[in-house]
Amino acid sequence: MVSQAKILVFSTEKISDPAIDMAGLLKLHYPPQVYTIAIPCSSGVKPRWILKALEKGFDGVFIAADGSDCSHGESCTEKTGAIVGKTHNLMKEKGIDPARLKMAALCSVCSESFVKQIRSFNEYLLKSKNS
Amino acid sequence: MDKKLGVYICACGGNISDYVDIEKVREAVKDEDCVLLARTTMFACGDSNQKEMEKDIQENNLSGIVVASCSPKLHLTTFRSVSERAGLNKYNYVHANIREQASWAHSGNKQGATEKAIHLVKAAIAKARFAKSLEPTRIKSQKSVAIIGAGVAGIKASIALSNMGDNVYLIERENKIGGKLASLGKVFPGNITGEDMIARLNEEVKNEDRITLLTSTKIKECSGNIGDFRIRLQDNIETGEPAVSEREINVGSILVATGFESYTPSEGEYGYKEIDNVITLPEFRDLIKNGKEGKELVFKNRKIRDIAFIYCVGSRQIKGENKYCSRYCCSAAIQSSLDIKERFGDVQVYHFTKGVRTYGSQELKYAEASRSGDIFIQFPDKDEPVVSSEKGVTLIKAKDILSAKKEIEAAVDLVVLVTGMVPDSDKSVGSLLKLPRGRDNFFNEIHMKLRPVETVIDGITIAGTCQGPKGVMESVNSALSAAVKTHSFVSKGELELSPIVAYTDVKTCEWCGACSEACPYNAISKSEEDGKVVAIVNKTTCKGCGMCLPVCDSDSIELTSFTNNEIESMIEILAN
Amino acid sequence: MQIRTKLKFDALVVGGGIAGGEAALNLANNGYKVAIIEKELSIGGKMILLSKVFPTLDCSACITTPKVSEISRHPGITIFTESDVENIEKRGEHNFIAFVKRRPRYVIAEDCTGCQLCEKACPVITKDQFQYNLVGRKAAFIPFSIASPKVAAIDMENCTLCGACEKACPSNCIDFTQEDRFYEIEASTAIIATGFKLYDPANLPRYGGGQYKNVLTSMQMERQLAPTRPFNTILRPGDGKVPDKIAYVLCAGSRDDSAGNPICSQICCMYSIKQAQLLMGALPMADITIYYIDIRAFGKGYDEFYEQAKGMGVKFIKGKIGRISELSNGNLSLRYEDIQSGRIKEAEHDLVVLSVGALANKETPLLFKGIRPDVDKQDFILQGDPILSPAKTTIDGIFVAGTASGPKDIPDSILSAGSAAAEALSYLTR
Repeated sequence: MVSQAKILVFSTEKISDPAIDMAGLLKLHYPPQVYTIAIPCSSGVKPRWILKALEKGFDGVFIAADGSDCSHGESCTEKTGAIVGKTHNLMKEKGIDPARLKMAALCSVCSESFVKQIRSFNEYLLKSKNS
Repeated sequence: MDKKLGVYICACGGNISDYVDIEKVREAVKDEDCVLLARTTMFACGDSNQKEMEKDIQENNLSGIVVASCSPKLHLTTFRSVSERAGLNKYNYVHANIREQASWAHSGNKQGATEKAIHLVKAAIAKARFAKSLEPTRIKSQKSVAIIGAGVAGIKASIALSNMGDNVYLIERENKIGGKLASLGKVFPGNITGEDMIARLNEEVKNEDRITLLTSTKIKECSGNIGDFRIRLQDNIETGEPAVSEREINVGSILVATGFESYTPSEGEYGYKEIDNVITLPEFRDLIKNGKEGKELVFKNRKIRDIAFIYCVGSRQIKGENKYCSRYCCSAAIQSSLDIKERFGDVQVYHFTKGVRTYGSQELKYAEASRSGDIFIQFPDKDEPVVSSEKGVTLIKAKDILSAKKEIEAAVDLVVLVTGMVPDSDKSVGSLLKLPRGRDNFFNEIHMKLRPVETVIDGITIAGTCQGPKGVMESVNSALSAAVKTHSFVSKGELELSPIVAYTDVKTCEWCGACSEACPYNAISKSEEDGKVVAIVNKTTCKGCGMCLPVCDSDSIELTSFTNNEIESMIEILAN
Repeated sequence: MQIRTKLKFDALVVGGGIAGGEAALNLANNGYKVAIIEKELSIGGKMILLSKVFPTLDCSACITTPKVSEISRHPGITIFTESDVENIEKRGEHNFIAFVKRRPRYVIAEDCTGCQLCEKACPVITKDQFQYNLVGRKAAFIPFSIASPKVAAIDMENCTLCGACEKACPSNCIDFTQEDRFYEIEASTAIIATGFKLYDPANLPRYGGGQYKNVLTSMQMERQLAPTRPFNTILRPGDGKVPDKIAYVLCAGSRDDSAGNPICSQICCMYSIKQAQLLMGALPMADITIYYIDIRAFGKGYDEFYEQAKGMGVKFIKGKIGRISELSNGNLSLRYEDIQSGRIKEAEHDLVVLSVGALANKETPLLFKGIRPDVDKQDFILQGDPILSPAKTTIDGIFVAGTASGPKDIPDSILSAGSAAAEALSYLTR
């Protein structure tokens, strides 16, 4: 069996997690080494959680952000972006490839987009792992 | 840790067990720390299994349960109810989604799906070890309501709330009620005039003991939260004198119905203010109202025989800011045209439109106007009509889409600019209450369909045209909807709020203000604890979004159910 | 002998679509006991079957499902699906009696887990009404994947009584002995939320409605675009080809005296523009043309949504379609008056969608015994005080929500449901 990259997804309870559910419902396959933790809003992910995941053995972390659909206000996208920026800097300091953290906004029915994004992220991570 | 956990792994009639080896999952998790029992079940949600779970909880004195089945969106409340029925606090139940996110998502890879399910269940067990019993925050709610704006929406909402038994403060900045109704003529359907409506509403408001009408009154300050808002009011604003009298009211909910303003054309827009017989629709309504019935319509000593209406003035702008359609104006213009013919006899009316939007049964009025001899011309979106005055004759020229872009020219006695709706220029209420606005600058609801009258500020609802253009009937519908919502905030005298909120660690917090700034609900404030300045979260305003978590440099803020312990223990298990 | 179970509620809501559901929730959240009578096997009405909704493009199921589960779980709401109101009578103020017949489902609802094994086992295939006959379904079936209740039913008209479902059912919930159940429901107020009927395209022979295979109704296209869609792509039914030149014919059965409906249906412009945008996403190479008389994009964010569609490349042609003819390859030729040029033109498309309008549900007033609520010229429930109390009918204590009083889009239906609930609450406290 071809080994796959291990990815942690932070999804959001009301928006992106339903999209990931629907990917399952439509049997749009993606690697089973992709695990999801759902939280209330993507702008609440702590950088230390991301670093912890990378240190403990995840190859990549994907933030499935609320985007403009967030019910907690329009600043969500910007704030999630800031978390990614801050964490990228921390990763650089630790010598971790910042591209191992990725973020994309997913609407509640963006299941095809989720699978596409996760597949290409997986490919990137596999390539960089083997090089 | 001395938690006693029960774990239930659902087969979902094959939906899960066809792809995930649930026996293997059970084997893998049954000896995890704190797990007292682990069972597989055909249908976790089935009535028989629910009963079995209740029995397990009671007989084994379980302090937590983990259910591994379909998406929590489907049965979260089902299993929360199971816990509660068995006397276990519902926040001690944790869910693992092994259908949508394991068996179905990886139906082509049984081994992978099973491995993933094992990880997901173990992570849920880890989370359940940290789970705590939580109680919803209960707050007292004032059984009174403030309604801001006494136009048709505010008045109708007041009457409805008073009927439902709530005390209402109806606050109006003008010295009379009725708002823009006064400038309306007959309104379709029902053929009731704006003035008749005001008379009726005045009577109804007078008959309601529970309505306190406060005219010539403005809001000065507002503080507090749902259930307990404090509003400082200033009376007698008309006199302009410094605060003649001030008072404070205490209400459980606020309903905002501050209405719209009619668009004022800029000078020279279709000759407005430059050519003396170019007026707006509200000005024209006044003219009709003051004219003598049966006689000819006269404006500035001139008999009016030919009238041109120009539509979409201030709406659907190509160059300007107002991209939206004002929805009421097509019908209002057509109704005005029918009114003048009824009252003043033969008048030729030309309608220069951008496409007539008489939706629903308003279509019948459009047909009636066409039959009565009105001429409808449609000008291209980007090629607006030109109004000019030559030797005392007012001319209007336009290309007509309806006749293959033929150039049309009409000499008229009066040009009526069919002006749309714009947000009220007095922004004080919006900024005092911190109400968000939409792209169109009107107040914004949380969700057009799910929560159409609520705002992101808990306890504040919006109604009528302050939310966007509406006809009178539509304003009333939205007002009554908002009234029901507002009533549900205050009717029980008590409110239950979710206990999933943020909290700070006062030992490590060195107040920097970052969390307070990140909070979209103004729920975090500076406070003193044992002589130290720290951030404190108000659990009645916090919505548990967690936006404050990542901005804290000293990591002194956590979110219930999503603490570092819980998330990181899950991460550790999933990473293995 | 017929046994009638007597039940008592504060409010009776006839119709479990989005308006009826919203009205019921508003009443129940204020502490009243509500009964919803729904004739279909699931609540959710037409909205639950839609793809996405304008102008936000949220998924309709995603909005409806949480509402529907809130309604079905609410302790204050009792739902009677597959039930007909035989008649409602006003016996006095705050005194209404409804006779209700609940048809058998032939499945013990409490025991059914929605596993769909009966569906797999059933050998009978018939047309699926919830997919607007685009595909088939079994005689033992779950109405659709997000139905509420998600409980199987046996379609007795097509069932062969072979017993395969009974053998396959793991919870032994198939019960062929079920019969009609009868109820006498007493309530203090009632809300009519019986919705609308879609215009029947068979009444438009000049458009080949119900006759040409590649002429669909907008509701059929809605199903093709929905997350629970019958095919995984957009197909034309004639030959299964993926279309690449699609036409929308607006005002099909609206604003047309000759079609028996002079008024505007309020929703067709917007849902067509929405479908056009979704089609541009699903079939990026397809050409989409909307033939219209006037575009009625009047609600919040609607005109902006219309401009967005133009920007995406949807073609808008102002012109009423005179006639559609079918070509030998299944394509369709549309003859229309092009208003911009003033000429009669012909255009060929490989799929035509008729944007059918909304008609009154003529059966609604017939549900009443004795005094019936008045209707307007289009047979919609007449509003007794249309401007200042839009939810009042001509009978005190009976209110109207949603499209039963005239065409409305979803936001307007929901607001009118809130309005009806407010009137009912006032009436109940009087």
